[in-house]
Amino acid sequence: MKNKILRIFIIGFFFSVIGCADLDENPVGLLAPETFFKTTKDVEVAIFGAYGVIASESLFGRHFSCALMFRSDMVDIGNRSTSAERIQINDFNMDDRNGMVARFWPAWYRVINAANAAEAGAISLGLPEEEINPLIAEARFIRAFSYYHMVRVFGEIPYIDFAVSDPLTLATISKTSEDDIYIGILADLEFAKQWLPDTYASDVRTRPTKGTAASYLASVHLTQGDFANAYSEAKWVIDHKDDFNYKLEDDFQDLFRSDMADDLQETIFTFDFLGQQSQGDYNTDYMAPMVGVRNAAELGFGVSVPSLLVYTSWNELDYRRKVSFTDSTFLTNGTWVGYPDFPNEKRPHIAKWRRYPGVTGDGRISDYNYPDFRYAEVLLIAAEALAESVGVNAEAEGYVNQVRARARNWAGTVTAFPADVTPGMNKTDFINMVLEERRLELAFEWKRWYDIKRRDLGAAVFGPGGLEPRPEFDASRDYLMPLPASELIMNPNLEPQNPGY
Amino acid sequence: MEIGEKLPGVSIRLEGTTTGTVTDADGRYSIEAPNTGVLMFSFIGFETQRVEIANRTQIDVVLNTDLISLNEVVVVGYGTVKKSDLTGSVTSVKSEQLTAYPAVNAEQALQGRAAGVQIQSNNGAPGSDFKIRIRGASSINASSDPIFVIDGFVGGVLPPPEDIQSMEVLKDASATAIYGSRAANGVIIVTTKKGKAGTTNVQFNTSYSFQKEIGRLDLLDGEQFTDYITEINPGYVSSGENTDWQDEIFRPGAIQNYSLSASGGNDVARYYVGATSFDQKGIIKGSDYGRFSVTSNLDFTAGKRVDIGLNLFAQRENQQGTKTQETSGGANNTGVVSSSYKFMPDQGIYKPDGSYTTALVGDPTDNPVAVANEYQNETVTDRFQGNVYGEFKILESLKFRTSFGASVNNGRTGTFIPTTLNQGRNVGGQGSINSSKRTNFINENYLTYTTSLGVDHSLTVLAGYSFQKFSNETWGATSQSFITNAVSFWDLDGGAVAQPPNSSFTESVISSYYGRLNYSYKDKYLLTFNARYDGSSNFSKDNKWAFFPSGALAWNMKNETFMTDINVVSFWKWRVSYGLTGNQAINPYQSLARFDKVFTIINGTPVNAARPTSVANNSLTWETAAQFDIGADIGLWNDRLTVTADYYNRVTSDLLFQLPLPQYTGFGSVLSNVGKVENKGFEFSLASRNLVGEFKWNSDFNISFNKNKVLELPDGNDVFTGSRPGHLVGISGSTQILREGYPVGSFWGFEYDGVYQADDSFIPGSGFEQSVGGEKFRDVSDDGNLNSADQTIIGNPNPKFTWGFSNDFSWKNFDLNIFFQGSQGNDILSYTLLELETMSGFNNSTTRALDRWTPTNTDTDVPKAFGGRSQRVSSRWVFDGSYVRLKNIALGYTLPKNLVDKLAIQRLRIYVSAQNILTFTDYPGIDPEVNYSSGGSGSASNQNLGLDYGSYPNAKSFTLGLSIGF
Repeated sequence: MKNKILRIFIIGFFFSVIGCADLDENPVGLLAPETFFKTTKDVEVAIFGAYGVIASESLFGRHFSCALMFRSDMVDIGNRSTSAERIQINDFNMDDRNGMVARFWPAWYRVINAANAAEAGAISLGLPEEEINPLIAEARFIRAFSYYHMVRVFGEIPYIDFAVSDPLTLATISKTSEDDIYIGILADLEFAKQWLPDTYASDVRTRPTKGTAASYLASVHLTQGDFANAYSEAKWVIDHKDDFNYKLEDDFQDLFRSDMADDLQETIFTFDFLGQQSQGDYNTDYMAPMVGVRNAAELGFGVSVPSLLVYTSWNELDYRRKVSFTDSTFLTNGTWVGYPDFPNEKRPHIAKWRRYPGVTGDGRISDYNYPDFRYAEVLLIAAEALAESVGVNAEAEGYVNQVRARARNWAGTVTAFPADVTPGMNKTDFINMVLEERRLELAFEWKRWYDIKRRDLGAAVFGPGGLEPRPEFDASRDYLMPLPASELIMNPNLEPQNPGY
Repeated sequence: MEIGEKLPGVSIRLEGTTTGTVTDADGRYSIEAPNTGVLMFSFIGFETQRVEIANRTQIDVVLNTDLISLNEVVVVGYGTVKKSDLTGSVTSVKSEQLTAYPAVNAEQALQGRAAGVQIQSNNGAPGSDFKIRIRGASSINASSDPIFVIDGFVGGVLPPPEDIQSMEVLKDASATAIYGSRAANGVIIVTTKKGKAGTTNVQFNTSYSFQKEIGRLDLLDGEQFTDYITEINPGYVSSGENTDWQDEIFRPGAIQNYSLSASGGNDVARYYVGATSFDQKGIIKGSDYGRFSVTSNLDFTAGKRVDIGLNLFAQRENQQGTKTQETSGGANNTGVVSSSYKFMPDQGIYKPDGSYTTALVGDPTDNPVAVANEYQNETVTDRFQGNVYGEFKILESLKFRTSFGASVNNGRTGTFIPTTLNQGRNVGGQGSINSSKRTNFINENYLTYTTSLGVDHSLTVLAGYSFQKFSNETWGATSQSFITNAVSFWDLDGGAVAQPPNSSFTESVISSYYGRLNYSYKDKYLLTFNARYDGSSNFSKDNKWAFFPSGALAWNMKNETFMTDINVVSFWKWRVSYGLTGNQAINPYQSLARFDKVFTIINGTPVNAARPTSVANNSLTWETAAQFDIGADIGLWNDRLTVTADYYNRVTSDLLFQLPLPQYTGFGSVLSNVGKVENKGFEFSLASRNLVGEFKWNSDFNISFNKNKVLELPDGNDVFTGSRPGHLVGISGSTQILREGYPVGSFWGFEYDGVYQADDSFIPGSGFEQSVGGEKFRDVSDDGNLNSADQTIIGNPNPKFTWGFSNDFSWKNFDLNIFFQGSQGNDILSYTLLELETMSGFNNSTTRALDRWTPTNTDTDVPKAFGGRSQRVSSRWVFDGSYVRLKNIALGYTLPKNLVDKLAIQRLRIYVSAQNILTFTDYPGIDPEVNYSSGGSGSASNQNLGLDYGSYPNAKSFTLGLSIGF
């Protein structure tokens, strides 16, 4: 009996040793890069990954778009006890350890990394051109779009246009010059314009079409001062607007209603945020509380608030001022007060991103789609580029008039303001008029800072007579932000830092 | 041995003569002795007692277990060893010490009992967990928690203190290396109670504790608050109430504790069966905890050569929680404790329409009564564990043991945020359920061979194989927008807005070979050699196997001839050891390259999306700790005084760090092995029987010094981490720093220099005040400007030393125990006081606000009230957290034998005791034992030390108890 037990134990011992040493990991529920790309659907999944990072709090949910807004003369800091990093960007005394930059610098490179991986994955499938190039074009568009923002904010930066599998090989690369970056951007956009489709299913505006690529080409040429090409691209979009279903929406307010966001026909490229569904950084937006009135019923933080002059200098007859600004609000006790009686920052607040956020109490995690480009801007680019390259003529005036005509529609009633452009202005006055029109039409849509930079308006708009006087503004330094210090410490080949920092 | 057990074999001697006898099987004895003689009663494992006969003809004696005998047997990994033969550094804690006061679990009971072991509560909430550190924290980004071995089951379920016979803490490499790749943080071996042949014992214990919060903050009342806010905002209109919010949320708490056990058996079968019930009503409304468990240990002797046994354990815990220690407490997420401190005292609880008020100053947060009453969070955890073993004596000198164990741990947490709270109001109520199931399977097999080669040599060899498999499943769902709050989280499909559900699965496997060799020569010279060869699936492709050896030497100096005549010394052993142990550290799948899913919306609906998030590291390996230990165990005056002292030095290298990559690569970091941290220190413990007559007094003292230092970081660069509560937006992201040469967890901030007075010159700096009455900071970098370069290390949360001191007194049938515990030299960074005392009119303040700077009150270091002041981490918020605490004082009375016999029971003891009733500290917060944001087992648990925010207060208790032995 005992020998039997002994034998059983010894056999059991050996069984327990055999067959128990498989130490390889077989993760269930995880995605491994080597086996990821098998069909075009997988390439789409990778491309959509890039959109998820763009529509996140680090970029257009709060940090990047707010940084651009603070930098301009259209948006000032309201609550001055907010975090120092925002004040420093607004007041032009930022350093290379700025916390907002620390959020969006890596986020943009995550987008670029995702786009590069998608492009590489698409090419690896070895499919015929007609089948795969639209997706490659979409990935290249995303890359161009990202570098276009980055090069305007930072100047020379590392330019990576291939998929990265061993990051340590990039540890010592140098910055690429702005000119070379723009060459890369234009090459990607040209390929995109050639191969992207005209429209997508359900006419979504969150994926780029040919029209999107052409519009961005127009913008890039405009930034580089190549007005002839800027005009020809913008004209091409205007002539083919029906192919892409582009038109000016009738009511300016509709552009900033979250419930109408998916059906707008004016948006050329927009970021889709879904209300009440936030997953960490993804799909999280805080624009509404940032611009909202502090200690009022709308539960805002009162941080991104334009200076009073922005409001008072805007003609009260302009419907767009009413859509863009909120001048009265409910307090927490239910009383309705005008801005001189706001609890804290006693001036009008931004309404574009607060008035109709969808189903949320304080506006965070809203349902807004934030447009990076809309058809009105294409018209204004055409006007400015035409005036610069050929001269002021009826066609250029006509484009501006289209925008103004839409603005005259005050929620159904047609008013007389803003009137059509005075014909036959001289070039300088016309250009200034177009820049002003851009400032008002595209108010608070993170366009103004780029206009100030490309037209070198800094000294004028931040001087004593400007909308937001900023004595610290230094044109030799402040048109660029500093690269994060941590990047330069880790890779000294990125030296020198942008001048003045 | 159980209370009331009759002891056979006790030796009784008439003092000064050779007359003696021993007790029989019933514990009876008879001896001839003069009326004025003195009898000495002695037995191994018990304290010798000296009793004067004093004309008595019958003397009944109760012997007390000897807590510090060096002849006792100590449990080490895979076996037991006599303490006199032990070559490693091991501390034993016995059952009586673990049950001295009602503790929620054995971890809490261990506090202050063992040198080198530091136990801190992470949060005072009922059912909350504890942080255990043996000889300091040996890792930075991986877990520094020691492993528990329960009756041989590595990683098993910790039973309640009443079922534990002893806990052994293995501290140095010689003792721990046999557990190889998981032993770098030390090992705690738990042995549960087993039945013994011959005696049947039934034990019933019960206690009831009244609890009260350990302290409250001194806050402004309604009028003082109105004055303070009006100074910043002259137009402020007060609501006119006067609410003491702390009063509203605290309530008297209680603990009801029951345990019933039976043990006994004969030569063939022995059993121990125990059931416990622990029920705690928390000191904050809406928080409770209950634990019910059953343990059953069966041992069988099946013939001369075979022993079989079975251990079964089942436990259910139910925790009703409230929100504390919130990581981001803005309007939507404020916790009950932080809200009770900062909410306006001039507001009432309810608005006229019956709904709860929200803050009218600062963020519109929920009021604390709303959070306490409305926030629902319930966690139910079930644990089942079974362990079956067989021990076979193949030869007299060769034994084989095999065991199979399995444990399943099921947890379910349901949370519901109704529309009466801010977070729920915006979304129509939010409910979620998250569950997990963790399975652990282990199989151990080992052979032990004991032999003596001649008279002078003895040798023990152990060799074994172990296989362990873990799997972890989680799943959960969240939904928003319900018709009514009444459904709580039990109707997620009724929510109109469903959030994406989640699920995950991981599994891992460890396969190990281990061995040990013990050699002793003439009982004087001892040598031990341990090694383990671990293979783990978590390790990277190129590094699946790891080898951990250790060696130790010991010298029993007392057994040398030159020591035979030194009678003062009864025992003196020197020991030295060195070895390597590992910290597994790597999570499953962490060395692989990955795409992770991304939440992307196209056309208003979520779509499948993924992006590359990590690159592979094929050479990723575990962390290795090399530890050197030298120590001595000394017994004097026949072991009346025993001393243990150790010096140790442990360096952990190949620390897991997310090596920062340049962010332009698209990857933030790659997990690598780079970095070193050192813990070195000194432990000293002393146990003495001061008085042994009719009035007895025993003392137990331990003190541990540990110095933690970061030796090496990636590229030598400082690494910053942030621990601030998210809604304190003014504070930058860097509040903790890792810097070579400094301890882990060092605080990083500005140096506060007091308040600007009228004749001071202001230091310029963007965002810093330059006015009289404002905060003054030191220009550390001396560049004439205040900016981020003026931040520096402002505090160290690691204590210089921790200690415990326990005294037992007994006289006739009374016993008294007084137990002090303390920590010295640790700093605390208080976010609580930072939020309250910044004086920016954003929320309520402590009464320090009454001492704020005004033109008539200039001699103060509290700045003036100023609405534009940002919150900033500075030395103003770093305090000395040293404390001495009277942890337990207990007075008991054991019923005399004659009364006990009349009741037909063996023993009855009643006692009253008090816990945490006295604390001596300079810390201005309510309790120096705080650990905000320090839970879990990752980087936060190692780097976030000594932080205070919104913690559930610990409690003082007053306990009545009764224990009966049948």
